[in-house]
This record gives sequence, C-alpha cells and structure tokens, in this order.
Amino acid sequence: MEDYDYLFKIVLIGNAGVGKTCLVRRFTQGLFPPGQGATIGVDFMIKTVEIKGVKVKLQIWDTAGQERFRSITQSYYRSANALILTYDITCEDSFRCLPEWLREIEQYANNQVVTILVGNKIDLADKREVHRQRAEEFAEAQSMLYLETSAKESDNVEKLFLDLACELIREAKQNTLDNNDSTPMPGEGKNINYLSCCSMN
Amino acid sequence: MAAEDLPSQFDVVILGTGLTESVIAAACSRVGQSVLHLDRRNYYAGNWASFTFNGLLSWIEEYKNQQEVQIAESEQVWRSLIDEGEDVMPLTSVDSTISNLEVFSYASEEEEKDETKTPLTSCQPVNAETESEETKGGSTEGQDTCTGDDATESNGKTQNEEHQEQHTSEIAEPSQSQDEKEPQPISSPADPPVEVEKKITYQKLLKEGRRFNIDLVSKLMYSRGALVDLLIKSNVSRYAEFKNISRILTCRNGKVEQVPCSRADVFASKQLTVVEKRMLMKFLTFCLDFEQHPEEYQDYSEKPFSEFLKSKKLTENLQDFILHSIAMVTQQTLTEEGLKATQHFLRCLGRYGNTPFLFPLYGLGEIPQCFCRMCAVFGGIYCLRHSVQCLVVDKGSNKVKAVIDTRGQKIGCSHFVVEDSYIRDEQRQSTAYRQISRAVLITDRSVLPSESDQQISLVTIPPVGSSAPAVRMVELCSSSMTCMPGTYLVHLTCSSSGTAQEDLAPVVSQLFDVPAIPGEEPSGGSEERSKPAVLWVMYFNMRDTSAQDSSGYSLPSNVHVCTGPDSGLGSNYSIKLAESVFHHLLPDEDFCPPAPNPEDIIYDGDGPQAEGSGFDESNNTEEDKSQAEEEKSPSTESSEPAEMDSVTQETPLDTSPPSEE
Repeated sequence: MEDYDYLFKIVLIGNAGVGKTCLVRRFTQGLFPPGQGATIGVDFMIKTVEIKGVKVKLQIWDTAGQERFRSITQSYYRSANALILTYDITCEDSFRCLPEWLREIEQYANNQVVTILVGNKIDLADKREVHRQRAEEFAEAQSMLYLETSAKESDNVEKLFLDLACELIREAKQNTLDNNDSTPMPGEGKNINYLSCCSMN
Repeated sequence: MAAEDLPSQFDVVILGTGLTESVIAAACSRVGQSVLHLDRRNYYAGNWASFTFNGLLSWIEEYKNQQEVQIAESEQVWRSLIDEGEDVMPLTSVDSTISNLEVFSYASEEEEKDETKTPLTSCQPVNAETESEETKGGSTEGQDTCTGDDATESNGKTQNEEHQEQHTSEIAEPSQSQDEKEPQPISSPADPPVEVEKKITYQKLLKEGRRFNIDLVSKLMYSRGALVDLLIKSNVSRYAEFKNISRILTCRNGKVEQVPCSRADVFASKQLTVVEKRMLMKFLTFCLDFEQHPEEYQDYSEKPFSEFLKSKKLTENLQDFILHSIAMVTQQTLTEEGLKATQHFLRCLGRYGNTPFLFPLYGLGEIPQCFCRMCAVFGGIYCLRHSVQCLVVDKGSNKVKAVIDTRGQKIGCSHFVVEDSYIRDEQRQSTAYRQISRAVLITDRSVLPSESDQQISLVTIPPVGSSAPAVRMVELCSSSMTCMPGTYLVHLTCSSSGTAQEDLAPVVSQLFDVPAIPGEEPSGGSEERSKPAVLWVMYFNMRDTSAQDSSGYSLPSNVHVCTGPDSGLGSNYSIKLAESVFHHLLPDEDFCPPAPNPEDIIYDGDGPQAEGSGFDESNNTEEDKSQAEEEKSPSTESSEPAEMDSVTQETPLDTSPPSEE
C-alpha cells in the first residue's frame, strides 16, 4: 500500500546536454551515467522521500528530448508544482539561453510554480565558463533559488530535490492555512480528473 | 543546439502537428517506428492551436503578412540533392486555410489605472477599419515583453495571491497588487454578476493575455466519443485535465434557456409542464434502445427525423429541444440518423457528469500536444519552425523515398504523412472547399447568468431562416483556464454560407451587446444591459477539407494526407482518419496501446532496483498502479487520479498495460 502526504510534480527544463536526465536518474535510481535510450517510454520518474516525518512523493518529468530543437509543448509546463531550470556551468551558451526559458515559464507555467536554477557539472570545475557569482546574481534577480550540482559525483543532487520538496511542503501548508481547504492545482476544479480516474481502473 | 543536424533516415516523416497528424505520430512511435515530426509554425497544433491573447494577436499579424508576401522558392539548394531516377514534388510554404479575418475591439482604450466605475465604453465602431485595429494588435508585441516584468515579480512572493484569486472565491487576498484585482462576480455569487464595477480595458486584456487560451477550432469531447476513448486507451489522458460542460442551452425566440437533457434536468425543469416531462422521458427512454423497437419508427425510415418527432405528438417545445440541442441535426436529417444521434448523446450522459461533454483545461489545443508528448516519450523527434520543401519521388515505384527539409537536408523515409494545407494546388483534383465560419468573442458575462459564474455552456442556436446555418456556441468561463477572471470566452461555429462575419454577426448582435456607435456607451436601459457586452471579437473562415479523400490528390502512394478540422462538434472524424492512416502504414500493429505507467516503476530506497534495460518496459505488478490512486494527497497533482465525485461511475475500462515480459 503506497501512501504519502503530498504529491508534487517537478518538471525539468533547460538546453539539451546540460544533464537533466542525469540529475533525475541520479536522484531516483542512483545511477550515472544513465543508459542511453533507456528513457524510451518513460514519462516521469517517481521517488518518495520522507522529510521530518512527512512522506512526499515526487513525480519528476523530463523533456522527452523535445528541447533539442526548442519544441517543448506548452502542455508540459501546465500544473507543474516546481521547475528545475538547468544549465551546464561549462557551457556559456546554456547559460545564455536561460532568459528564453524564463519566457516560456512565464507564458505557460502557473504563477505559483517554484523555480530553482541549477548549474550542473561542477565536477568539471576546470572547464567552468559561468562563474558562480554571476549565476547567483541572475537567479536572485529572477527570484529563483540557486544550486550547483554534479550528477556525476552526486554532489547536491539529493539536496536539490529535498530542498525543493521542503519548499513545496512549506507552500502547500501555507496554502492550506490560507485556504482552509486543500489547495486546488491551477484549473483543477474539485471534480476534474474524470478521465484519469477512468483510465486508472 | 539549434544548428544540430537531424538523423538522415526515419521510418515516418510527419509534417503538421494538428490532431490527426499528432495521433498518427504517437501511434507510430508507440509501436517502435522512428518518427520525425515537423511543423512550419513556431507553435504546436496548426489550425487546432490555442493562443494566449498576445499570441493570437501575433497570429493575426502573421496572417496579414502572409497575404502579402510570397516567398520565392530557392530551387537551387535542393536541385543538387536529387539523384538520377528521382523526381521532385514541391510542397507549398504558404498556408491559405484562413480567410476573411476581421477583428473588432470594444474594450476601452484608456489606461487602466483608474478606479472609475463607468460601464464599458465602446471605442471602436463595428465597422471601423479593421486594418487599423489589426495593426494595433500587432503593435502589442511590445506589450508582450512588458508582461514579462509582472510575471517575474509574481514568480516570487506574490504568486499565491494571483493563483487563489483565480480559483478560490471566498478568500480575501492581501492587497498586494491592487490593480491585479478584478471585481469578480465570483466573490458574491448571491447577486447576479450584472454590475461589473470596473471596466475591463484593452490594456487589461493584454496584460492578462497569458490567461487566455483561445482555440482556433471549437469542439467538445463526447464522453463516449472516439477521442475520449483513445485518450483513455493510450494513457495520453495523463497529460491533460478536463472539465465537464456544465449545461446545454438553446436560444429560442431570442431567449436563452437551458435544455433539460438528463433525467435530473428534466425533473428539475421549471419550463416544462408535468405532461411534457413525462413525454420527454418516455421518448428519451425509447431512444436509448430504439433498435429494439423498430415498429416505432420504421414508417419514418425514409422521412426526416423532424417529422418523426411530430408524429410522436411531442409539443413544439420538446421537438425543438430534441432536434436542435440533443440530436443536433437538421430539419432534413433522416429518422434513423436522428435517433442514432439522440442515442449517442444519451449514452454519453452521465459518464462524467450530467452533460455528455468534456472540455480540456487550457483549451482544445492541448490535445494534439499531448499526443506529441507521447510520441516524443517513445523517441519521436520534434522540430517546430521546420518544414519540408519538397518530396523526392522514386520514378520507378512512384514512392516518396526522401524529403528535403527547409534547411536543405535530405531525409530518407518510408512513409510521409502530411497535413492538407502543405499540399500544392497542382496535386489536387479540386480546389473548391467547404468553409467553416468562426467567431471568437471576449465578453464580460454569461449569456445566461446563474448561481455559479463558472459554467461551461454549449448553446445551440437553431437556424433562423431555411437557408441560415445552425450555429453552435461554446461559452467558456475562467476556470476552464481559457480566459481571465471576469471574462468569458465565446466560440461560435457554423458551416459557412458566406463569410464568417456575414454568417455570425447577426447571431452575435442578437445575443450580445455590441456597441454600434463609436464612442457611445451601451445604453443603460435594462434591455441592453441584460445582454453581455462584447469586449473583443474576431471573425474568420477556416477551410474545411474533411470531405476530401485520398482520391482527391495525385500523390505518391506512400504519402498520406490528413485533412484539417471538420465542422462537427466532436473529433470523431479526425480520430478515425488517424486510425485509418495508421492501419494503412502498419496493418499489423496495434493502434495506440496503453503506454506503461511510470507509477509502476518505483525507486524507493537507495541503489538501483533496475538496470537500464529493465527500465524501458513496465514489468511491475499491476497492483502498484491501482494503489497509486487510493489516496488523494492534500496537495494533489493534476495528473494524479482522483475520485470521481460525479454522477455515474463508469464501468472500469481495461487499460492495463500489456503485461508481457
């Protein structure tokens, strides 16, 4: 019997090759590097974590390669609780594309989404092209959290998802207080999900 | 990353991301075909797309520009790529499926700072130069970037308010953003939302533009239609959320009233007499299994359904309801077809709610994207802003062996699937098309206010004269995530007899308050104010190619054309077409079998539980899955199954993934 107190949808975005899939696989499976092509047919990955006695189920969605030619569907952003915007610290270009990603977020994600900026590949410190301070300033200007990770060395990966989970719990609790009611997700009337309901039988 | 080359060989190349093409893409990819899916536009879904308000203004601009510019084809680029024994068949780079586009804005042009309580003012005359209006639309590109600032702001600490404002009625928000606040009828459901205190300005529409998701095609989903069945069967439903259409209305003698269609409606109806209620129930019960009682209707099998209804001694009232709003057929439709339509309607009732229809949150444009996501998850490659210049045809076999894309790359393929609008006129037998007339309105209130201002209504408007078309109207509220709070998004659709404006403007002025004189406020008389005011309206015609079949094109045998959206209310036509193209391509393959459920794969502890290869097919037990839906967490995630708290529980559908190893 699976039980959890919260379920959150976390969505990864960022240029191709910055290590999004590696972050997810490292966190959910402890694997690096992920077997190529192994993600075929997998929509999202699940990991349940416990934070201070609260069971949180994280549903982590990857781009399915649609970022390669900048063709992510808008529907991918809908109803995400959190976004992990990833760039590669050894690739200036992936950092420069961030404003473009932010525009997409602004257009299609819900206003309440928690966004965290992640600089990945800190194991390749000698190849670093984007200084930490620069990224921090950028993140702060955009009201994002910032973290640097290495999916390869497993640095900060755990922390990334757990921090996000904490933040999401905090927000959810806040909303419950404000609402006196379970917080509906954007657009989620009390009785939507008819379809998913039936499809799950 | 943009300059990355594509692989040089695919099983299937698909051009166009409309519903039919996207379903085919998902279906092919799902069974292991390599798929390249392209669209020349910078957005998904082609004519099925939905746009934010600002996005729609850009689309309007694009339409205008395309009228003028004809791009010279650069033949030289691809000439060198053609080998001996190969022929070239160019495609068109111009989309001519949209015509007669007209835009009128009646929202106040004033700056939006004021606290004035004036009613909506008209600024644009109905017959103003659309030219200038459209230009104005285009110049709002700047606004687009403006909104970036607000949103960045709200990305931070003020997110919560905005969100709740939208979804929760009774919460008084801290007044962080005064001008964000809409005097929403929501907050006082008691009084009818007639007095909109603060006018909605054009600036406001632009500023809140991202809250709109305006569909080019207006359709609903029959809860037992082909699309819903496919979404469930394929597990694509997990990518979207849906809402019930909450009521069905009709317009009779200029008055909008609710159509009683479910048992509960019929009994609750105040407009029907007791005798009528009994009559209606009896008739509907008969329709549910009319095949069992051929004696009831066989005398009318060659006659129109409308005559059959008369013969049943139903009151005129009831005849109208059944003909126009339940069967939704014409005066001429034959009895059996009318009975079938009525039966289908009734069978769809109660599956998810007390109308037969669902609507996807964020608009219909989500649905093709959901199928594209499915295709991508199974390895399909996606490129927007990327088209095909020409097909390379093998002279011997008269088959397409490759395509040359807009970057001049030659890409081999075994099959080529293409949306109709990419085909040149030379390849067509006929260029006489049917058209669909469309109007899109932003209004300030519902055509039939009720206790809840969050209704999604289907309004059937019977033809006025014998030659006039029946008009179908869908009114969407803000909780459908297609318009900003305090407004309604209204879609009108009919088969064209003239231009969209000619066909639909009479209906619009019948049901809405359209300021006629420039600068004049709608008169304060109760008569006028009983109608919703139009803030913005767009008319256009869309080509309806659904009558075409493969014999209508002279194309190589492995080219499969997908026609655009049809004028019908449901999407059966497009889904059936997708299925038939798929079976043509891959006769022995299953059409969209259920995708494995990621819930089956659970990594709980540390350390890998499955090595790479074990990951790609679900080999977990079925139990995991069914448990996942047991409990709805306090903060539910959208695609998480929830309890269905509506009327009738559906018999479980077997959608379990194939449990083969």
